[in-house]
Amino acid sequence: MAMLQGRILRRTLEEAKARFNFNSNPILPPRASFSTVTSSTSSAAATAASDNVPPQLPPFDYQPKPYDGPSADQILAKRKMFLGPSLFYYYQKPLNIVEGKMQYLYDENGRRYLDAFAGIVTVSCGHCHPEVLNAILEQNKLLQHATTIYLHHAIADFAEALASKMPGNLKVVYFVNSGSEANELAMLMARLYTGNLGMISLRNAYHGGSSSTIGLTALNTWKYPIPEGEIHHVMNPDPFHGAFGADATRYAKEVQDHIEYGTSGKVSGFIAETIQGVGGAVELAPGYLKQVYDIVRKAGGVCIADEVQTGFGRTGSHYWGFETQGVIPDIVTMAKGIGNGLPLGAVVTTPEIASVMAQKIQFNTFGGNPVCSAGGLAVLRVIDKEKRQAHCANVGSHLIGRLRSLQDKHDIIGDVRGRGLMVGVELVTDRKEKTPAKAETAILFEKMRELGVLLGKGGLHGNVFRIKPPMCFTKDDADFLVDALDYAMSKL
Amino acid sequence: MQRFIPVRRLLSEIKYSLRRQRRFLSQVAQSEVDNNDGFVPKMPSFDYSPPPYTGPSADEILSKRKEYLSPAMFTLYSKPLNIVDGRMQYLFDDKGRRYVDAFGGIATVCCGHCHPDVVEAIVNQTKRLQHSTILYLNHAIADFAEALANKLPGNLKVVFLTNSGTEANELAMMMARLYTGCHDIISLRNAYHGNAAGTMGATAQSNWKFNVIQSGVHHAVNPDPYRGVFGSDGEKYARDVQDLIQFGTSGNIAGFISEAIQGVGGIIELAPGYMPAVYSTIKKAGGLCIADEVQAGFARTGSHFWGFENHGVVPDIVTMAKGIGNGIPLGAVVTTPEIATVLTCRSYFNTFGGNPVCTAAGLAVLKVIEKEKLQENAFVVGTYLKERLTALKDKYDLIGDVRGRGLMLGVELVTDQELKTPAKLETLHVMDQLKETGVLVGKGGIYGNVFRITPPLCFTKEDADFLVDAMDYIMAKM
Repeated sequence: MAMLQGRILRRTLEEAKARFNFNSNPILPPRASFSTVTSSTSSAAATAASDNVPPQLPPFDYQPKPYDGPSADQILAKRKMFLGPSLFYYYQKPLNIVEGKMQYLYDENGRRYLDAFAGIVTVSCGHCHPEVLNAILEQNKLLQHATTIYLHHAIADFAEALASKMPGNLKVVYFVNSGSEANELAMLMARLYTGNLGMISLRNAYHGGSSSTIGLTALNTWKYPIPEGEIHHVMNPDPFHGAFGADATRYAKEVQDHIEYGTSGKVSGFIAETIQGVGGAVELAPGYLKQVYDIVRKAGGVCIADEVQTGFGRTGSHYWGFETQGVIPDIVTMAKGIGNGLPLGAVVTTPEIASVMAQKIQFNTFGGNPVCSAGGLAVLRVIDKEKRQAHCANVGSHLIGRLRSLQDKHDIIGDVRGRGLMVGVELVTDRKEKTPAKAETAILFEKMRELGVLLGKGGLHGNVFRIKPPMCFTKDDADFLVDALDYAMSKL
Repeated sequence: MQRFIPVRRLLSEIKYSLRRQRRFLSQVAQSEVDNNDGFVPKMPSFDYSPPPYTGPSADEILSKRKEYLSPAMFTLYSKPLNIVDGRMQYLFDDKGRRYVDAFGGIATVCCGHCHPDVVEAIVNQTKRLQHSTILYLNHAIADFAEALANKLPGNLKVVFLTNSGTEANELAMMMARLYTGCHDIISLRNAYHGNAAGTMGATAQSNWKFNVIQSGVHHAVNPDPYRGVFGSDGEKYARDVQDLIQFGTSGNIAGFISEAIQGVGGIIELAPGYMPAVYSTIKKAGGLCIADEVQAGFARTGSHFWGFENHGVVPDIVTMAKGIGNGIPLGAVVTTPEIATVLTCRSYFNTFGGNPVCTAAGLAVLKVIEKEKLQENAFVVGTYLKERLTALKDKYDLIGDVRGRGLMLGVELVTDQELKTPAKLETLHVMDQLKETGVLVGKGGIYGNVFRITPPLCFTKEDADFLVDAMDYIMAKM
């Protein structure tokens, strides 16, 4: 019944739209007149347009430099020859991205795309953000590298600024070069500090691609058949697919059982992403971390929060993902957005835990180098100055709102979830069974690229769109994305 | 230390005054007369002035480090140095004072600090696109991989890009284990390969190993020509590897990993004949040979581009970092197409690895090394430097050994030439004094008594003279 009403409304508005011909009207912004209307009418209105004409990218006042480098085909040939068969890529016809500016990317033909994935949740401020760029370029002229065996102010200033963003007694910073390195170090700290062996992580988690972090990662596509060391994977508190829905207590009991039956009763630590990234933007059931942190600490373990994707204001409501669950971890790991794309990672912990690391020499040659530290500090400043966290909350809730309306319209959307600008859209062929719509996701993924939107993909079955753009993403970008998705889905 | 000085000093004073006559004639241009002690070495001239420094002072930085950074983070020198600027083979402190950088940020800055070609490549690429990941195409990674692969012999032509040496070695070890289906890896005592779980296992010096489980690595007797039990007889040491396999494993192993010249371990060049013998043993046991070129690679040894080439072997996997990007965070693993397929059974991904900026820098580095003939320079200046250091060894009993190749040199200090007792305190003292004189060297070896001299490869003969003269000047006063 609702669908029929929707169709009637759609047709009416379609006719109205046709008279306005608003897509090409430079004075009247495409959706301005509808943006304040309730979501159902705006989605219907947008639908009316989407059936006929593909949506247009919001305007952007920037000209990319002309590209005269190797073509996509030439690059692909070289990749196949010199970079190995395991180096995969997106799209049937891979995209040659040559330039970036804020939330947009440009291909070799100068065509602009909306970057809704930010180089995997990494470009936090925006591609070539002027302030970050300036900090990097200025430092490059003075000193790229000398290591921490000498003093340099950049690492100290950055560590101080980062520590000031942390709650509790989290204030000792270790700089590394990637998320994998950060999680490796966190695991080492946990084992050293507690003297216990077993680590606990969640099924569907992703914590790295190095041989030890592969043990923490719990998605078979990313796990090579190598010994894991003592790691227990507990039931994922997944509100959409999990056996207990959003009932955090029952999932937490699972952790208790793992400890009581599967370990000596003592563990070294627990690690989790607050919103699983690679796993498909799965937000842990509310209240889960609070209960599990208690259980783990009682068993002698430390609690590690993997903020590689959720950190730096992306969730909108809070600066750090773990804050959304009302907990304070013992160790926090970060990477990706920390440097807007610079190879940088960090581990922040308490002085108590840091002191056990002082038993031996622990050194990272590139970690904390002046250029990455200067870049990292600029990122923190930009996020604060441009109020990116509030912006993520604002645009994020608008985006999620529109996506939920889209969910009402298209049966293929099984779930819309996330927070701020860390959003997931799961596609299913059957809403009851929640059967992953793998093929459809792949088709829509390609279609979206053709329309000018670069999404990410995730979930064990590859049926989740990951929408995690640079945090300068606007409402207009969000509207464009949803309209494009609507258009593509209508054509399926 | 006090006991030895009177006798040694007498002997050295005699030797010194004899040599002083010769030195005066050949090096008058380099020295100034110092009324008390002889000739104070003078730094070679350099036409560059750093911009004035207005940032935090050394004390301010030190206190922030103590509060916000690892308590285990150490600095060299009793009074830590605040390095704020770098140009080619020189570094500048917060007072604008220039130093000869004979350590190269730990064998990392190979072209020279802020080398214009490398900086230009970095700046141009950063302005265009810093990061997108390999999910999309970009020519920088492809061009760099091609150029790098072309520098390697045999069928070594598939490149994996990481962000550090540790990541590269971790990946190499994992690939060897996956490829062979075996778990055991052999590394050398005194080796350094990294600080993550797997590489910490391969690393074999207790001060770098934490008390956590590190499994599957066996450490073979180090083919150390200076301290090793078999001297320079490479083949005798190689038999230990054979025994290790026969008695300590199932007979089949995943692989063997070694540096051609041990860096952290104190610039120890593996005894001649060792690597070919061991590689043969490893292959017979079904294992892969991994060459860790993190420090010895990229023309540093002078005679060859890669350290392993000095030993006449071709590895199955080569790992690199440090010099590969002149200081930018970059690492790489290069292997054969056959071995590379092992990762296709699952997905391996490195978010930052292969990003446009780092690979553009890497390509610029390869071009600079070739254009400026840095390998040849490393050979010529390195040979000259080693000769002068060897002459210094003849003069001072404090110097137990001078070793290495090209611009990867080590000077080991001992209090007793026969017992080879490590002169730990003296090393610290000389290192500090060298800094006062204007020379920055590194330190290594398990006893911390080896000077590591691994400067940027644009190091000149004048720089070498200054370094040796400074060392001479300091040791004469001890």
